[in-house]
Amino acid sequence: MTSLALRQDGPGTVTVPGPRRRLVGLVAALLVLLVVLVLSVMIGSTAISPSVVWDALFHPSPDIDQFAIRDYRVPRTIVGLVVGVALGLSGALIQALTRNPLADAGILGVHAGASFAVTVAVGVLGVSDIRGYMWFAFAGALIVTLMVLALGSTRQGQSPVVMVLAGVCIGAVLGGVREALQLTNPDAFDAMRSWNAGSVVGRPLDLVWPILPFLAVALVLAFAVSGPLNALALGDELAVAQGVRLVPTRVLSVIALTLLAGGATAIAGPIVFVGLMVPHVARWIAGPHQRWIFAHSILLAPSLLLASDILGRVVMRPREIPVGVVTAFVGAPVLIALVRRKTASGL
Amino acid sequence: MNRKKRTPMTMTPLRRRGGALVAVLLSTTLVLSACGGGGEDSGNSAGATRTITADNGTIEIPADPQRVVALGNTSQPFIDIGGKPIGVTELSASELDPIPAEQKATFAAATNLGADTAEVDLEKLAGMKPDLILVQVPDSEFEGIEKELEAIAPTVFWGLDTEWKTFADALAEAGNLTDALSEQKTAFEEKVAKIKETHREVIADTSFVAVDRWDNADPGTFVITDFGCIEIAADDIGLNSPKAAEGDDPLGWTDLPFEQIAQLSKYDAILYPVDAEGQPKKAFAPVVESNTWKALPAVGSGRALGVFCPGNNSYGPVLKYLDSLDSALASLPAKG
Repeated sequence: MTSLALRQDGPGTVTVPGPRRRLVGLVAALLVLLVVLVLSVMIGSTAISPSVVWDALFHPSPDIDQFAIRDYRVPRTIVGLVVGVALGLSGALIQALTRNPLADAGILGVHAGASFAVTVAVGVLGVSDIRGYMWFAFAGALIVTLMVLALGSTRQGQSPVVMVLAGVCIGAVLGGVREALQLTNPDAFDAMRSWNAGSVVGRPLDLVWPILPFLAVALVLAFAVSGPLNALALGDELAVAQGVRLVPTRVLSVIALTLLAGGATAIAGPIVFVGLMVPHVARWIAGPHQRWIFAHSILLAPSLLLASDILGRVVMRPREIPVGVVTAFVGAPVLIALVRRKTASGL
Repeated sequence: MNRKKRTPMTMTPLRRRGGALVAVLLSTTLVLSACGGGGEDSGNSAGATRTITADNGTIEIPADPQRVVALGNTSQPFIDIGGKPIGVTELSASELDPIPAEQKATFAAATNLGADTAEVDLEKLAGMKPDLILVQVPDSEFEGIEKELEAIAPTVFWGLDTEWKTFADALAEAGNLTDALSEQKTAFEEKVAKIKETHREVIADTSFVAVDRWDNADPGTFVITDFGCIEIAADDIGLNSPKAAEGDDPLGWTDLPFEQIAQLSKYDAILYPVDAEGQPKKAFAPVVESNTWKALPAVGSGRALGVFCPGNNSYGPVLKYLDSLDSALASLPAKG
């Protein structure tokens, strides 16, 4: 999602949920996630009985259906969990950083950088396996976001507005070059279809483990800047008055969200709607406190992603719909309903 | 096999149009001027002609064309029946690799006119003064260059849904190569009869399924296919293998997640793609390496048969496929 619509504070009154509601919300989100995790292992494009699923997990044997559970559904579920956590938290971070409720990591050029790098890897360098081009995606996302950070740095420090503009501009340029490369190399376009749509199918776990340390660092950074981001929501001057150091806060936030979104995009491709929508739901439940928003987003985003993936497995059996497509279908109406209903989704 | 080649009747490439408009606009003037300069160099002005019917209507062509340009999917089948085109569009590595060395040499000797028909160098093509142009590309792609090609030389076009035997007959007729084709057809009929006779019981009693994985397949997916070489095995040999219902998309168009490899358990035997050395095709290797594949009863009992399919759009590659299928069926263990 690449929107420039920056939020203007309105005169509306926002009811801030109390600690009890936040805690209940968090526990409920955790329960929902656990249920979705179980369903993700239970439900697939092939009907496999719950007893076989149980045996596959706790009494493993070389049964063909058990292999299907252990080799495909479990890794797919873990991938969805990791990608969902990363997307949800990155979305909450970018919205807090830019004070833009319609922002996701895409506006800083993460998706554009990743997609461009993958196109070069596939179309120019002949990398055909996701194990190879995943790292190009990660590097592309990081490099482009660092460029955006540099371009967004003025003498007065980092400006979210300039960063967003720089991200959109670089994204547009890279998007154009990427399109040109794909038009002149249809095979590259073919090879990237699945990645472009956003999918968690066929991503082996050994592809995910190397990304996890980056995500862990980003997780720590995100919670470290959550307090300063609360103050930033009041405006730069008030934040500075409260002792917030603007530059480190923004730089660390950008690094964290880039690692998160870059890692998720590298694994699953550009899934745009999760990071946009989930923080709204999180704010509705948890109120304006970033730490709580982050915590809720971390639990809600993988639930949305995995629920969408489950839906994608069954609605057109035997073929599957990529999760990126389903999240857009599921997420758009939900987001519209939420935005129309609650002022609490504002920042 | 590349994903872009999937069609119900053939595995021929769906050529793309990208860049065609620019090439056409730049070239049209030169092409028309080349053709408007008089007929003395047309390469066929004095020869006898005959008419041929193809997907672009009835065309008057030289009785014995000598300067043939083969565009799109026509080059390999034309060379396969003994044709020596003077100009061709490129073939992918996966299309070029399996063809015999002498045919590769013929292909290499022809002038390269571009990556595909949509991007064919019309100026160069006109300069070669062909007396016949053969084209097999998607209909929409041909429509974009039809007038330009016909302005250069008589042009014979077939769509991608042309059945391969019909296509071979038509190519041979157009290129005046029916004698060479006749030998191939005889060899094909004899081979088919031999396989049917040799493996009569296996063919009658065995349920087969043909699986594949396209070069650009999504990670973690494969297909059950009902077109390409398996279509020949089913239609000509009589192998019992799954086929899409009438009116439905071919089975091979649907990517199936690896989870559904287990569904192959219900078949007696599995046909999977291998290269000329008998190793699983590179794109298919992830399937063979999966635990679910290894756990299939057919795999465990040696009833998963690797079959080499170098192509299915002309008799030469098809004969090689039949040799491979013959050997595979001969190696099939009895049902347990």
